This record gives sequence, structure tokens and C-alpha cells, in this order.
Amino acid sequence: MPIVSVLAALLAGAVLILISGSNPIRGYAALLRGAFGSPYNITETLVIAVPLTLAGISVAVAFRTGLFNIGAQGQLLVGALAAGWTGAQFPELPGILLLPLTLVSAVLAGGAWGAIAGWLKAARGVNEVITTIMQNYTVVFVMHWLLQNGPMTAPNAAGTPASSPIGAGAILPIIIPNEIVPLSRLHAGVVLAIAAVVVFWFLMWRTSLGYELRAVGLGARAAAQAGIDPRRRMVLVMFIAGGFAGLAGMIQVSGLFHRVFDGFSAGFGFDAIAVALLGKNSPVGITLAAVLFAAFARGGTIMQADAGVSSHLVEVVEATVLLVIAAEAIVRALAVRRGTPAEALA
Amino acid sequence: MELLIGAGVIAATLRLATPIAFAALGGVITERSGVTNIALEGCMLFGAFFGILAADKTGSAPLAVLIGLLAGTVLAAVHAVASVTWRADQIVTGMALNILALGVTSYLNYEIYGSGVPSGVPLLPALNLDFLAGVPFVGGVIGHQNVLVWLALVLVIVLQLYMFRTVAGLRLRAVGEHPRAADTVGIDVRRTRYWAVLASGGLAALGGVYLTVADTGSFTDGLTNGRGFIGLAAMIFGRWTPVGALVASLIFGYGDALSVSLQGVSIGDLRIPVQLLSTIPYLLTILAVAGFVGRSRPPAADGVPYESEGH
Amino acid sequence: MIAPRPERERGTAATVVATPLVPLLEMRGIRKRFGELQALDGVDLVVNEGEIHALVGENGAGKTTLMNILYGLYHPDAGTIRYRGREVRITGPRDAIALGIGMIHQHFMLVPPLTVAENVVLGDERGGPPLDTRAIEQRVRALEERFGIVVEPSARIEDIPLGLQQRVEILKVLYRGSELLIFDEPTAVLTPQEVDELFVIVRQLRAEGKTLILITHKLREVLAVTDRITVLRQGRNAAQLVTKETNAAEIAKAMVGRELKELKARAATGTSLPILQISRLEALSDRGTPALRGVDLVVREGEIVGVAGVGGNGQSELAQCILGLRPVTEGTITVGGADITRDPPKRTRARGVAYVPEDRRVEGLVLPFTVADNFILGKQDREPYARRGVLEREAIAKDGDRLAKDFDVRPPNAKVIVGTLSGGNQQKVVLGREISESPRLIVISQPTRGLDIAATEYVHERLLEQRARGCGILLISSELDEIRALSDRIAVMFEGRIVATLDAADATEDRLGLLMAGHAEAASH
Repeated sequence: MPIVSVLAALLAGAVLILISGSNPIRGYAALLRGAFGSPYNITETLVIAVPLTLAGISVAVAFRTGLFNIGAQGQLLVGALAAGWTGAQFPELPGILLLPLTLVSAVLAGGAWGAIAGWLKAARGVNEVITTIMQNYTVVFVMHWLLQNGPMTAPNAAGTPASSPIGAGAILPIIIPNEIVPLSRLHAGVVLAIAAVVVFWFLMWRTSLGYELRAVGLGARAAAQAGIDPRRRMVLVMFIAGGFAGLAGMIQVSGLFHRVFDGFSAGFGFDAIAVALLGKNSPVGITLAAVLFAAFARGGTIMQADAGVSSHLVEVVEATVLLVIAAEAIVRALAVRRGTPAEALA
Repeated sequence: MELLIGAGVIAATLRLATPIAFAALGGVITERSGVTNIALEGCMLFGAFFGILAADKTGSAPLAVLIGLLAGTVLAAVHAVASVTWRADQIVTGMALNILALGVTSYLNYEIYGSGVPSGVPLLPALNLDFLAGVPFVGGVIGHQNVLVWLALVLVIVLQLYMFRTVAGLRLRAVGEHPRAADTVGIDVRRTRYWAVLASGGLAALGGVYLTVADTGSFTDGLTNGRGFIGLAAMIFGRWTPVGALVASLIFGYGDALSVSLQGVSIGDLRIPVQLLSTIPYLLTILAVAGFVGRSRPPAADGVPYESEGH
Repeated sequence: MIAPRPERERGTAATVVATPLVPLLEMRGIRKRFGELQALDGVDLVVNEGEIHALVGENGAGKTTLMNILYGLYHPDAGTIRYRGREVRITGPRDAIALGIGMIHQHFMLVPPLTVAENVVLGDERGGPPLDTRAIEQRVRALEERFGIVVEPSARIEDIPLGLQQRVEILKVLYRGSELLIFDEPTAVLTPQEVDELFVIVRQLRAEGKTLILITHKLREVLAVTDRITVLRQGRNAAQLVTKETNAAEIAKAMVGRELKELKARAATGTSLPILQISRLEALSDRGTPALRGVDLVVREGEIVGVAGVGGNGQSELAQCILGLRPVTEGTITVGGADITRDPPKRTRARGVAYVPEDRRVEGLVLPFTVADNFILGKQDREPYARRGVLEREAIAKDGDRLAKDFDVRPPNAKVIVGTLSGGNQQKVVLGREISESPRLIVISQPTRGLDIAATEYVHERLLEQRARGCGILLISSELDEIRALSDRIAVMFEGRIVATLDAADATEDRLGLLMAGHAEAASH
């Protein structure tokens, strides 16, 4: 089914390219080349896939517990801000101290920001969708302030408002030497992302806590009578979700930009929802979906340059994937009504 | 003082509140019927782009309004089919439509207006109330507002009356609160919800049309920049009523106006962090939904697909 | 308030009963099947014009299904409906309303933020587009005066008590010109005072020439207001009675049936040591109305205490309070002498309390989980299933297979998704999980609902085994046979109280039936 939705979306994209008078095959060829056509292009695709994977896990871990985390975007930015602040605040610290400190600060900050939505749901019954949407925009404006004329604003910065660069100790190293892939930006964040995928898998399917979270997501009342308090798990899982998103933000700072700037990583948190849905909230699925969406993003820019097809086509394709997935849920709902057990299709 | 409550700031408040109010009105209609539509942002973006496109291609501003409105309605129709007929997850569909709208408008903008919307596109005029010219303050505030600002104000009153003073409004509210009760007395739940979702798309699109065909005369990718979501916030903070939504939009618009007028102003040594003013809508909304500032309660069946009984 | 009408009216109605010309409603041979369950198996119902007709039976007897067919919510598999002598097809509520049939639903179909008048006219506002509130309120007031039903038309539904909300439901039906009014368990949510007021209204409606069908299981109500009675049992007609010529015992007998199962001879295993003690327990229902109104109950070691009663009289809430799933507003619960009144489920269970909930698919199991994973629900953080927070997959799989075999789960494979199992096998998984911990007390609700005979026997045997081991068991069931077959003592619940506790030997079906129907005085003779 995920493959069907991607194919349907690509088809819809092709129609749009045709309508606008270009050649879809040329367009898609350019896209493919841009995403995977050379070692450099592959590393560029992976650079985008890293934060997408982490943000996708953020959405998925909440989904598995029955919560819809629209807030990965805001949590990612909070993590980035925390990393940017920590990294710039103690520039003299050696990497062995500063890098973990940066990482932990981002995870805790993102987690705390996420936990607010969990707490409001558990204690006040507030729909987490509303809270996380509102939180996302709150972060954007706080970020404007911090970077334009607030405490994090870099002195004498020109151009885009930004924070001061982080210390050398907070930087994630490039893992592919220039001699092998010249100019590659692929950093050690990719290792952290793979580790996060493993942690996500281990947490959800190999620990008592993960069992409890899944039980709450699939049968909250059964979990409650067995002594698993769903409300506490909601707060906790939103902390974990925020932590993963915060880690994504930290990786963008420490691995790629070495500072925070206005308009930083826009839209990753929303793409993450599509990644989680397409990847069926599973570790491998999310990783593949993140690489796919990263390929769209990276390939899209090349497609625009080489074939003259706007890179925004990628958003159309992505939205269509989501719509087809929604339709898939409908097919399942209809099947259930006809008496097929839902579990048989899950 | 002039910076805080001068005629200039208040006039700007009205201007900035207008697109928010349109989206909020759309939100009120659809959520009162029991359908959540977070695709309002996308509908607004559709209205903005197709509005300016129509203004450019037809040379007629009124026609631009109509086409922009239709474009938002079409996008909302997808949401209606998915959420009412197919009972899909309304949040997922809404998210998808927002991304779709961003993609389609940006794509077409690149393909059609790679170098920007040409200048000289016909725009909607302001209503010049010259007789107010001499009146202090009032003349400055409402003397030269765009027709769409007035339309928004009129629509607030019309919709308030519709919702609470007509038979159709009574039925709409019943459907959003207790669809089964409405169904058992012969009200068509599905049809009511369809119309409400379509109307919400049209209203949000008007907000988008205002941004391009009345305000700027140009289009940039993602131009609406979250105003549709502020509209949802205004709807919640305004407790799901048209007049409340307008008041909330004005409060939010005033915050925006202040953040412009107070730009670079200092009190003593402290530069006013104007950007933080813009967080007020979102923080107020969270506090309102959580019951810390009054209690803002959504319609009981909001976001819940309805399935009629029958075996 | 309304003055009761003189007896003359009652005489008039009785005359109609005595000389039935063409019945107003004639349902013949109605059948309806839901999946495996034959809910109605050829039921007849004949209602004469101007009478109050009681439709009586236990839970699951088919009363509500029959009425939902009459109201067009379900379509019958077979059978005919005649209304005023004419055969009719009712495909939806709209058809029913057009015929003059109105339903006062058990769960009111009222929109809480709207006013009384708005709810009454909703869908049939007569006028508009503008909503003329004053005209609507006047119309509703006139209707109220005609039928002697008083509710302030401008009040909001959410601000008025349930008793008044029910009047609004009645007004809604009358406003649409209904001649035949169906009341589905009308007294279920009412206080005793509200019940008396309802009966005044009911008699008043008959005096106005309306015909009423009262779905109920409470004998006091049947005897107080109805003219004739149709008793259903397990989807069939059990009796047709004239109220004046019958009595509570006869109705109860027809309701409960005579199919006595042989009682198993059992050695008394009970010590005198109480394991569960409940005193003056009070709690609210989900709707915020009192559900438990001072429950006193003791379960001793090695004893099965059955809680009999018609569903909805507080049994579910009682179980939830013991587990810690529902807040207790008054009173105390102790287990083995320790106060657990305010303990959350986890701590309650740590004291050796096991729980088999009534809805196994929603409360008992996580359906998309495997059998093995369901076996460890609640034990997922303890040895041997977890060490330092990490699941021990091998131990889980091994014990899963062992328990699946021990408890005869079919297929005997713990990797199967629980949701795909039959109801009986699902119940074995729940039961296996709960009793494999050797609990001191088992709270078990509707243990055999929806199970076939073999699975039912299996569950019963396991429970008797636990009893023999010295475990105390609180058995909540609406199946009287089950209660009588297993219990050492039987507590009868009615309207949130234990109205009597009988030794199993003294608990004849007649007495139980009367007690369950709220007829404590008659039962004591």
C-alpha cells in the first residue's frame, strides 16, 4: 500500500508537469539524478534524511501511544535553539564535554516543550492537536525575537538574523573525507539518526515502557485497568517525542549550520508527519520514507535547475501521498464495517 | 501614546485583523457543524493565489474575488468528501491539503510568475468616506478602509444572525453538538456538514483574496504565513461565535499592528521585544482551551465523523 | 405541578382493554438476528388504542430490539407490522413519526446547549428562515398546558435535571403529533420523586387518548401504571398478562423462566476470614448521577458471592470502584484488612486483587496484541517478564505458550493476535492472565457473556477451582442461572444498593426475580 500511494502521487505530479508544458520523464529523470546520481548527491540526500528521520520518529512514538504530535516542528526548533545557545555559550569546552552537553540540552528542551502538550491533555483534557499547532507558532515568534534583537542575537551579524556560531567542540564532524566525496557535508548526525532508529525500536518493542505506551495507544481502557495510567504515559511520551525532535534540531545546528538563523529548518516537522504515516510508524518504514522524502527535496532542486520544473512539485507529490494514505485508512474502515477483523489488515 | 492607540495603529489593526477574521468565520461555520478544518490555511493560500491570478488575467477585481473564493471552495470540497463521506482522519486530510495548497500555488507561481506578478494588476478599491475626513480619529480609522474590510464586518453580523437567529443556524448547531439527535428529527447531517465545510473554504479564501487583491497586489510563496491557523486560534478564543471571532481577530490584529508600530522603540535601555507580541494569540488560545482564561469549549461532536444507524 | 386524574379515566382505558376492536398496533412473528445471536425469534406484540402496555423482560430479552424495529432503526428479518389494521413498512424514524409513532429514548436525543423550546421544535420549526423564538416558546407552552407537562421553554437543556429533560423528550414526541409513545426504560435515570412525577404524566397522556408502550424490568412500575403486559424472554414471548389480574410473582416467574439447572454439590470451603469488606460505598456514574448509594458487602476467603441484578443498577460501578478505576465519593473498601479505597489499579492489584471486566474486547484485552503480550498485561514491568525495564522476550513467549496450553486457548499458539480469537478463547486469555497470579480476590463481571456452552462450563470450573484454593470471588452477572449455580451467597443490587443478601439455599428464582425488580417487600414473604 505505501508503494501504491507513492506511485499514485508521482502520477499526479506527472500530470501537473504535463499541464504546465514540460516533460515529466525529463523532470523525474532530473529528480532521480539529483537525489542519487552521484556520491555527492547521495550524501546531500542523506543530510536531509537525518532530521526527517528523527522528526518522523517523534511523530511516530506519539502516534503509537494514541497521540497526534503536530508539534515536531516547534520541538525541533526549541532543540535547535537550546543547542545553539549551549554551543555558543561555552565555546572553550572540549568536544568531549561540549558535544554531549549540547545534545542533552537540546533533547531536554525539546522534550520539555513537548511534555507541555502531553500535560495539558492529561490534566485538562485539551486536544494535543490544538496545543501543538499553537506551540509551533509560538516558537517561531520567540525565535524571531531571540535572533533579531534578543539575548541570542549575534553581535554585528549581517543579513539573515542569526545566533553566534557554536564552539568547535559542539560541531559534529564530517564523516566522509574530502578525498572520497569532495565538498560532502555528510556529518556524524547520520550516525546519531541510525542510533535513534535503533533506540526507537528498542524502546517501543523491547522495554516495559514501550509495551505500556503501545498498550495505551491500542487499548487505553485495558491498559488502565491493568494498572498502566494512560495520563502519565501521555506526558512521558510527549516528552520523548519532543526529545527526538529536539535531537533533530541539535543535529541541524551541530552538523550543518553551526548556528541558528531565522527560517531555520522550516517545514521539517510537517514533512515528518507524512514520513511517519508513510512509514507506518515503524523504524524501518520511517527510515525509508525519510530517505524518499529527502530524495524528493534534494532531487527537486536539481529538477528545477536542470529540467525547469519547479521544485514545489515535490510538495504536491508529498500531499498526494498523504491523501492516498488517508484514503487507505478509509478502505480499512470500510473493510471493518463489512466484518473483516481490523487486526487482519493492520 | 500615538504608537499605542493612535488612529494609524487602529486602522492598521482593522487591516491586519481582516484576513484573520475571514478565516475565523470559516472556522466557526465548519466546526459548528462538527467538522474540523485545519486546511483553512490552504484555502486561504488558494484564494490569495488564484485571486491575483484572476485579477491579472481577467483585468477585473470583482471577478478576481469570485474566482479566488471558488478556488478555496474547491479545496474545501476535497476536505468535505474525505471527512464527511469517507470519514477520514480530518487532521491528516487537513494537513495534506495545506501542503498541497502550498505546493500547487508555489509551483504555479514559479511556472506563471517566475519573475513576479506584474505591476498594474487591478485591485479592490478602498471605500473613501470623505464626509468623515474632518472627524478626528474616526476619519483616520475607517475613512479609507478597503471594501473587503467592510465585507468582513458585514459578514460577521450576517453570520452571527444566521447562526443564532435563523432556523438553518439552529439546525447547524444541533448537527455539530448532537448529530444523532438531529438525525432522529429528520435533519440531513451530511448535507449540513457539506455546506458548512464548503462555506468555510470560501470564507478563508476571501481572507487570502484580501491579502493579494486588496492589500499587496503581489504573491509570494507561502504568503499567508500561518494566518489561517491564527484564524483557528481566533475562532477558539472567540468561543466559536462570529462576533467573538471578530473580537479575537481584532485583539490579534492589534498585537500585529503594535509589533509594527513599536519596532525599534525602546523604554529606557530596553528595546521592546515586539516579536513576542505576536505570540499572544497562540498563548491566549492555549490558555483558553485549557480553561485558564474562561473556558472555551468546542462543539460536542467537533471532529467526530458521523455514521448513521441502520442494519 | 399536575393533579392526578380521577379514577374514572383509568376505567375508560380499562374498557378499551376489555373490548378490543382493531388493535392500534399488531406486530406478528418478528425475527431479528445479529450475527450469531437470534435476538428475536418470532415475537408477537399487540397493543390496543388508549392503553399503557408494559414490555417486560431481562437484559437481552429483546425488548429494545423489538422497539427499535417498530421505530425503524432496525429492519426485521421476518414478520409483519400492522398499524390501525393496515400493514406498514417502516424503513426509518421518519416513517415511524409520519405514522404517529414516537420514541422517548433511554439516552435522550437532546442538544444540551439549546433551549427546551428549540429542542422540542428542532427539525419541524414551522416558520423561518428567521427563528422566531417567542412564537416557538409560545407554541411549546401551549403544548405543555394541553398535556400538563411543565418545563420552562427558555431554559437550556444542560441546565435542567434529567427528570425535566425527559419531559422535553416527551414534548418533542407530542409536538410531532404522535399517537403511540414508546418509553425505553424511562425510569432508569430518574430519582424516585421524578418517577412519581413521570407516572402522573403517563396517566395524563392516556387520559388524552394516547397509547403508551413502557419498556421496563421494574415490577413496581408495571403494576403501578400499566394496563396490559407482554413478557419477553430470550427473544420469545413468555407471557401476555392483564395487569389487574396478575401479581408481581407471576410476572417475575415469566421474566426469569423455569429452566433450572442442577446445582452442583460443593463442599463448603469458606473460612470466616473476610477478604473484601465494603462499607457504605457511594460513587457517581459517568453522567454524574449517583450510581452507588451506600453499598455494604463482605466476601470471605473461599467464598463466591454473586451479585445479581438487572444491568445498570450499579454493578459495573461497584467493580470499577474496587479496582480503583472510579473515584469513591463516600465509604471504604478494604482488602485483607488494608484500606484500598483510594488506591489506583496498580496498587489494588498488588494486594492480590484480580479483575475480569465485563467488556473483554475493550477493557480486558489489547486486541491488536498477541496472546502472549496480553498474558503479561499489567506484569510487563516485573520479573520474569522484564529485567531492569527490558522485556524478557523468551520468558514471555515461553509462558505465553504454557498459559495458552494450560487454559486451553485455541489455537494453542501464543503468537496469534488476540483480536482474531473467538469470544470464548479471548475470555480464556483474560481469565488465564488473572488467575495465574494466584489472587486472593477475583472481581469478575459477566464472565460468560456471549460464550458458548463449552466455554461457559470451562470458565465456571476454573472459578470453582479458585474458590477451592481459598480465593474470594465477587461474581457479577445478569445470568441468574450462573449466579445460582456458583454462588455461596447472593447479593441483589437494585438502584445502587444491595437490597438483600441471601444464602444460596434460600435464593429461589422467584425471590431473586422480585428483589431484582425492586420488590423487596414481596420477596421477604
